[in-house]
Amino acid sequence: MQFGIFTVGDVTTDPTTGRTPTEHERIKATVAIAKKAEEVGLDVFATGEHHNPPFVASAPTTTLAYIGAQTERIVLSTATTLITTTDPVLIAENYAKLQHLTDGRVDLMMGRGNTGPVYPWFGKDIRQGIPLAVENYALLHRLWREDVVDWEGKFRTPLQGFTSTPRPLDGVPPFVWHGSIRSPEIAEQAAYYGDGFFHNHIFWPASHTQRMVALYRRRFEHYGHGSADQAIVGLGGQVFMRKNSQDAVREFRPYFDNAPVYGHGPSLEDFSEMTPLTVGSPQQVIERTLGFREYVGDYQRQLFLMDHAGLPLKTVLEQLDILGEEVVPVLRREYAALKPAHVPDAPTHASLVAAAAASRTHTSPSHAATPADTGEDVRPQGLLEEQHR
Amino acid sequence: MTFTVAVVSAGLSQPSSTRLLADRLSAAVVDRLRSAGQDGLVEVVELRPLAHALADNLVTGFPNPELEAAVSTVVDADALLTVTPVFTASYSGLFKMFFDVLDKDALVGKPTLIGATAGTARHSLVLEHALRPLFSYLRAVVVPTAVFAATEDFGDTTASPLAARIDRAAGELVDLLVPRAGGALRRTSSGKSDPFEDVVPFEELLRGGQ
Repeated sequence: MQFGIFTVGDVTTDPTTGRTPTEHERIKATVAIAKKAEEVGLDVFATGEHHNPPFVASAPTTTLAYIGAQTERIVLSTATTLITTTDPVLIAENYAKLQHLTDGRVDLMMGRGNTGPVYPWFGKDIRQGIPLAVENYALLHRLWREDVVDWEGKFRTPLQGFTSTPRPLDGVPPFVWHGSIRSPEIAEQAAYYGDGFFHNHIFWPASHTQRMVALYRRRFEHYGHGSADQAIVGLGGQVFMRKNSQDAVREFRPYFDNAPVYGHGPSLEDFSEMTPLTVGSPQQVIERTLGFREYVGDYQRQLFLMDHAGLPLKTVLEQLDILGEEVVPVLRREYAALKPAHVPDAPTHASLVAAAAASRTHTSPSHAATPADTGEDVRPQGLLEEQHR
Repeated sequence: MTFTVAVVSAGLSQPSSTRLLADRLSAAVVDRLRSAGQDGLVEVVELRPLAHALADNLVTGFPNPELEAAVSTVVDADALLTVTPVFTASYSGLFKMFFDVLDKDALVGKPTLIGATAGTARHSLVLEHALRPLFSYLRAVVVPTAVFAATEDFGDTTASPLAARIDRAAGELVDLLVPRAGGALRRTSSGKSDPFEDVVPFEELLRGGQ
């Protein structure tokens, strides 16, 4: 089980002081937070990608490479990489380069982005969000696996005899997760490729997360990547902790009440009941988090959102100390004891290199080119690609 | 067979004339169902207690359990009966919020009866200019008779035009649920009375009838 943090890179006024950090301060704070995450023993740091204010999360591989140069062990990831508006050729190049520079400490999470006006800035249209995600990822998948690619699609200039450089480290592409809150097509896409599926989890009720993960698991098995309980699942989470739970609630409430996503809506108490948000003692966070596997099954990656809504850097670093010292060690122990032996860990560069070496000796096909539909109420990924080719 | 009728009432006061009209409409629908040899089960969704939940849903993007239950009641019902007060020349904001949080396909094909209340009959075309387009967009099947009640309509409960409109609208809704030859919908189109045959007795004209 991997534990980590994800950030959206928002520049938000601290509602308790009225002070807004500068872009420079926020960017530097992001680096400090990532380094702290490694220091307290977390496994993953993931940054968002946005191309509009109030975010400073553009150019994610620049940020990740800078962090990679100052860390030793932590896996650098994204939450999410905009597969819709970013040229898949650039994604292939940028993340393969990052993979080399960090000795394989890279994976990615694909996402669509839900801000309509952003799409035309990159020559795209949000109404084509799903077809863009389908076609662009199909190309990216080939660019990392085939040395020379001839390709023609609907959304991008054709490629003739193109080789994306550098080639992936050790011939093994970075592992890919697909993130979506509500689109069954994306769970289907993750299942088709045998990639990971990540559910944001923190903005919607658990019953919804449960349905999306169940769909992904069912289709993962359908496409022959393993049994449903061997599918690779990641979840978001959101916590704020103090030794005394009353202190946590008192300190976090103004940030909650004014938060960009859900502020000025339901009360902290109601939102905590309806979503995984947990504001309280480290013990409460441990118990709540352990409850996630009861509705999604044994899963591989847990990321927490720790640095949003204007929380000052000092507070975020304190939160990471509590998370790393008091929460994650207990969760690691508990999850390890609960996980059956046939459920895999999240793939890492090392495990993927080993798996590639093993498959070269056995030469087993990963999945059929066009798997048959079983008549379930999802459009098979093969069909989605066909339609948008 | 038992038909469920979801009643969405956006009245704010207690008691409200909006709810009063909704109750008269639902009672008329149940009567008409009974005449057609069927049963009716009325399930009322009052929007006032859901006001906070509706605002929260707009902010968070998902309904709380109470609102989710109300939405299911409406989506699962065989027919929808909905009444709003007129606010500032249209349906109330609360009324619109409820239909804003529904899935755009949630009401497709749903037999629907619309009603509205206001202090004065000068607002009556709100039904045709605001409510009917809203439900057309959602592709609900709205019966031709929309029922408007001004304060003055509640004064006369016997043989009033309001009672006749309520009964006609209820008949049209039930005809969509239990189609039959010569139903209310057909009567309105082809069973027009002949003024030279069915003459209105003069004493009725003297009393103000038409």
